[in-house]
Amino acid sequence: MIVAKRKPLNEIAEMLAPYKKVTVIGCRSCVAICLAGGEKEVKMLVSALKVKNKRDGRKQHIEGTVVERQCEKEWVQEIEAQILDSDVTLSMACSLGAQTIGDMYPKHLTFPGLNTGMFGVPEEQGVWSEKCVGCGNCIIHTTGGICPIARCAKSMLNGPCGGSANRKCEVNLEVDCAWAAIYDRLKLQNRLDLIESVTPAKDWSTSHSGGRRVFEREDAKLTPHQKKGKGVT
Amino acid sequence: MNAKIQVLLCKCCSEVPELLNIAKLEKLASESGNVLSVMTLDALCDGKELAMVVAEARIKEIDRAVVLACQKKDVSPALIKAYKRVGVNEHLVQIVNIREEVVLPHAAEQERAQAKAQTMLLSALARSRLLQPLERSSEDMKTRNVVIVGGGVAGQAAAKEAAKYGVHTIILEKTGKSVTAPGVVMPHATLIGGKGYGGNFELKIRVGESLEDLGAASVVIASGGGWSTLKGALAKAVRGAMPLYEFHQKLHAEQTSAGTVVFMDTPDPAGKTLKVQDYAWDETLETAIELKRKHPETAVYVIFQEMRASGLSELAYKEAAELGVKFVRYDRSATPKVDPKDPTTLSVKDLTQGDELKIRLGTMVFASIPASPDNQIIAEALRIPMSVDGAIRRGSIQRGPVSTPKPGVFVCGSALFPKSREVAAAEGQAAGKLAGEFAARGSIEFGGIVAQVTQEKCSACLTCVRTCPYEAPFIGTASKAEIRVQACQGCGMCVGICPSKAIELHNYTDDQIMTESKTLLGGDF
Ligand code: SF4
Ligand code: SF4
Ligand code: SF4
Repeated sequence: MIVAKRKPLNEIAEMLAPYKKVTVIGCRSCVAICLAGGEKEVKMLVSALKVKNKRDGRKQHIEGTVVERQCEKEWVQEIEAQILDSDVTLSMACSLGAQTIGDMYPKHLTFPGLNTGMFGVPEEQGVWSEKCVGCGNCIIHTTGGICPIARCAKSMLNGPCGGSANRKCEVNLEVDCAWAAIYDRLKLQNRLDLIESVTPAKDWSTSHSGGRRVFEREDAKLTPHQKKGKGVT
Repeated sequence: MNAKIQVLLCKCCSEVPELLNIAKLEKLASESGNVLSVMTLDALCDGKELAMVVAEARIKEIDRAVVLACQKKDVSPALIKAYKRVGVNEHLVQIVNIREEVVLPHAAEQERAQAKAQTMLLSALARSRLLQPLERSSEDMKTRNVVIVGGGVAGQAAAKEAAKYGVHTIILEKTGKSVTAPGVVMPHATLIGGKGYGGNFELKIRVGESLEDLGAASVVIASGGGWSTLKGALAKAVRGAMPLYEFHQKLHAEQTSAGTVVFMDTPDPAGKTLKVQDYAWDETLETAIELKRKHPETAVYVIFQEMRASGLSELAYKEAAELGVKFVRYDRSATPKVDPKDPTTLSVKDLTQGDELKIRLGTMVFASIPASPDNQIIAEALRIPMSVDGAIRRGSIQRGPVSTPKPGVFVCGSALFPKSREVAAAEGQAAGKLAGEFAARGSIEFGGIVAQVTQEKCSACLTCVRTCPYEAPFIGTASKAEIRVQACQGCGMCVGICPSKAIELHNYTDDQIMTESKTLLGGDF
């Protein structure tokens, strides 16, 4: 899932300070599940901002609400009136949600309430770790199911590097060396030959560096005719 | 539904009217919305006025009550019972403890006391109007088994005591040693897993090589601690090292040997120091004081990384220091060492002074030693918490010295911390009595103040499933969270953490709590 973290209260308050009417919008999907922007976090932030405003003597009207998935226009549309009725919207979704609202209402101000962090896995309650960077060309069938792009500090395709010691990474001794983990996993699976075969440079054109990526699925897209029938342009 | 509230003001054997203006409180209550009856009573706890209260409640068709009294245990059960007879739901009787929250702390500030009592009355009324009547249900226990894990002194005592309640006791003994106890004794049997809740546990046990299922109404953990084996480099190197309880027994029996005594926190196999339970520091200090009193000539050291005595035991530091006990604090990077060539000298770097001390050892006493790894398996099987040093944690030393936080699971003997056979047997008896009494009830009551999921709001994030200490929430067939009410203890943890605000605790809903808090604190937030 997408893992995010709420911005510090003061940073948010400062962003919103010039505006009279604020709508805080959460999202009930990824960011709810990673305890960053669900209904509870929205309500807590709204309360915290009200308390802060009261203390600082600032007059501001703040309301909070949540939508099912903020990255989908249909869900956002359900609260269109509330969005447009405010001076500024604070999105408590990942940046996808914030940008969906921004693209839908370009004249309206939409600010981020969260810092979107990564694709992460809940390791245990309250702990998330990054395991994928979305490089667009998955290779983990050759690395024992462990992604070296996300989990190795140097994203090495042939590892470990010379700095791997005692299963820890030289970049930060608190971090596990991904390649040590890959070695262990391949050994367990009796596939250690894979660690010796050299992996050539990867095709990075699928990765982010080429600018914004768009995926299309022709079979899922509506035909112009179908779109017309639904009044979609 | 229109609330019909009765307000009772108890004078708490005349303590209250000396401080508070009762007439003002009466007036405030009767002028508040939905209040149909206001009565001032002399002493609610002696029960004489209850008949009068419920007679009035019946006439006015009262359906809920706000009672300003003390929180004395004998006030609420009798009152709730009396109210039940006239149809007032037990969950609609709110007791506001003005004795402990107003009268005692503000005895010298009449004005503040009055203002606080009034605010508390108003906020209780605000909440009362929003409360809902709740029903409880019951479920029959499928078995009368009391399963006792461990056949040592504590386990045997527990079985004997529990058997008096006409239940079936089953002892799981890890070894093949003979156990004298009523009921069934299963040798070579251990508890390895389980599910369920107090009244209806489904345990998984290993007997010899085979796995078996075993139903249980209640469980007693009497597994011992495995404390007696001192591990760690330090302990191995030092002759005459012993755990605290053993030294304590020796001291009582006048069997301690001459020479310097060093008390130290726990040596663990990795050479690091384990955290020590608070009780161990209390007992270390007491024992050091006792030793110094009996043998003032003995040099006594207490060596520690981090020490925490609880409550009044803190005074023991001073007392011990005055008697000449020397305290030495060390850093985890420099654990005390015994030279293998000279096992009688302990060197420790004093963190405060920076000096390297060399102490000639007579006896070395460890405050706490790593508990047996069995405890962890048992704790995981029953989903009960453990203490920092790997023992089973009890509910509360005052209110439940042999109870765990989980209803129907009791604990005794050295599974808690190392102790003598006599104390272990006494605890076994206590735990057996509670477990026997629990299983003999034959049914469990549940419901009332429990959690409930609004499924449309649930994101199926599993947070509640992971958080609940009682394993009450689960993801049901609709792929949304549900609460197993039999297991729910109404602790509210899932409610607080649910990111989608999909869970509410009956009669502690946001609306009820916020209304109450807003009246208490004044203002919106
Ligand atoms: S030590 Fe391991 S994880 Fe760190 S950069 Fe080298 S190979 Fe990657
Ligand atoms: S914590 Fe809340 S949202 Fe998550 S599964 Fe439980 S009820 Fe559903
Ligand atoms: S209220 Fe407590 S016991 Fe009940 S389901 Fe929630 S966390 Fe579990």
